[in-house]
Amino acid sequence: MPDPAFAEEATVEVTDVSVWFGAKVALSELSCSFGPGVTGLLGPNGAGKTTLMRAITGLLGVNQGSVRIEGRDPRRDRGVHSRMSLVPEDEAVSAALTARQFVRYIADLRRITDRNAPDDALRTVGMLDAADRRVDTFSKGMRQRTKVAAALVTNPQVMVLDEPLNGADPLQRLRLIELFKQLGAQGRTVIVSSHILNEVERLAERVIVLVHGRLAAAGGHHAIRDAMNDRPRHVLIRSDDARRLAGALITLESVAGVTFDTARDGLVIQTVQARELATALPRLARDTSSRLIEVRALDDSLESLFRELVR
Amino acid sequence: MTAPAPAPVASRRPRSRFLAILLYTLQSCVPPKRWFAVLLPCAGAVFFGLLAHAVHGTHGHAFANVAAEGIFGLMLPIAVLIIGDAVLGAEVRAGTFHFTWLSPAPTWQIVLGRWLGGSLIALVTIVPATALAAVVASDPADADAALVAAAVAAVAYVAIFIAIGCITRRTAVWSLAFVFLVERLLGAALTGIAQISPTWESRAIFISYIDNPPARLIRAGIPHGAGAVVRLLVVTVVALVIANWRMRHMRLSGASD
Repeated sequence: MPDPAFAEEATVEVTDVSVWFGAKVALSELSCSFGPGVTGLLGPNGAGKTTLMRAITGLLGVNQGSVRIEGRDPRRDRGVHSRMSLVPEDEAVSAALTARQFVRYIADLRRITDRNAPDDALRTVGMLDAADRRVDTFSKGMRQRTKVAAALVTNPQVMVLDEPLNGADPLQRLRLIELFKQLGAQGRTVIVSSHILNEVERLAERVIVLVHGRLAAAGGHHAIRDAMNDRPRHVLIRSDDARRLAGALITLESVAGVTFDTARDGLVIQTVQARELATALPRLARDTSSRLIEVRALDDSLESLFRELVR
Repeated sequence: MTAPAPAPVASRRPRSRFLAILLYTLQSCVPPKRWFAVLLPCAGAVFFGLLAHAVHGTHGHAFANVAAEGIFGLMLPIAVLIIGDAVLGAEVRAGTFHFTWLSPAPTWQIVLGRWLGGSLIALVTIVPATALAAVVASDPADADAALVAAAVAAVAYVAIFIAIGCITRRTAVWSLAFVFLVERLLGAALTGIAQISPTWESRAIFISYIDNPPARLIRAGIPHGAGAVVRLLVVTVVALVIANWRMRHMRLSGASD
């Protein structure tokens, strides 16, 4: 079975990469790869997501290991920058320029010949109406979208987006998510980091989780959950006779604990073998003449996966 | 939002990367507050021209003394430091330099574009202010010499401050250290330092091209006149080469780091 940390058709390869700043280790012997489609990069603050993104784009040299974009070193081969773009996390956009001037500058650096490319990119992110306004008059969300436009204007094969949804209003978030999915569907490698985990869940086909500069998990978010089957999971069970069902559940080896949750009006089962519990539960309900009203995993969101990985 | 299809419609001849970088430097790197900060030492230079009236001696001698200490030794380096920091160091600190660095443009074009942009800004601010100071000091005959000396020193300083910006994030601090510790302190004591110092060499250029300069301003052991101009141009080239080399190896972190 292929290692989920590595994409099948890798365009971005990270091999044994370590990055440190003085005594602080930001990335430690990290190996993974990214291919066409959208990959989410998750981790708590200080996990090394931004450092990894900067290493991928070549902004930061790695202290150990190697980064390759389509087989080329982004630190040594400046030509590779015509194939990729970065949307940095910082709000930093040259404040004295208008959005159009800024995007045109990026287009000129790449020698884009399409006269309409800057306006097309601004239109794509819904910024064309504000194209002649100076960037320092923009909201945070508008600056983010201007940076996304600057990334799009270069028609990159590899897009690295560090918290690109920051500051965007809900409607713009939806539109940006749709845009990134389209870019991924076009065969581009799109790497997105975000703290808004439910959005990454909707956005990324594949997730890479970093904790303390190391790879904590990789794969689809369900696959990550499967990989964590040896960790406790919590399942809410509501039935018409919770006490009798609890007595039967506690006899199962797959059940590590049973709690009455008055707020949810049900039982919270702690299990380390969710599949076995799922198989046994209907039988137990029948044997105890209990009617199951609701069975729901409480920690199946990415946010809860993430908390467990960080724990 | 729909992802753009890669289908060029109306094509144009794109600007050269070098021209784009130069225009960006002129448009973006010196915001209004920084223009104000640049104009302050320019006003200071003119003020030193006024102060020359309070110095005993001929107008020529009075302005030469004031220019050597106040303008070439203080106002010119400070003004160019503000410009030099603006065209690279401030951008690196703010995180906006990422957009330029992450392009296929060769680093030498980035360095040259930034240097030329900074030099042009200096040439329209502190350099004419230095000549204006001569006029204000009632010594218009020496305005040409002041102009040449200030122009050559300014382009050398911009190159040095860009090189410092490529080496450290604390560009302003290290640039000040260069001006006041290396040039003013060490340069006053060591001729070898003075030979590569824009402050000392600009003074030497200025003194060479004025009539009957004060004897105390003529420093032995460093090039004067055209030799000093050539020396500063060599310093400029060396600083730009160092900047180009360092720029390839820069580790660019964000504004929040």
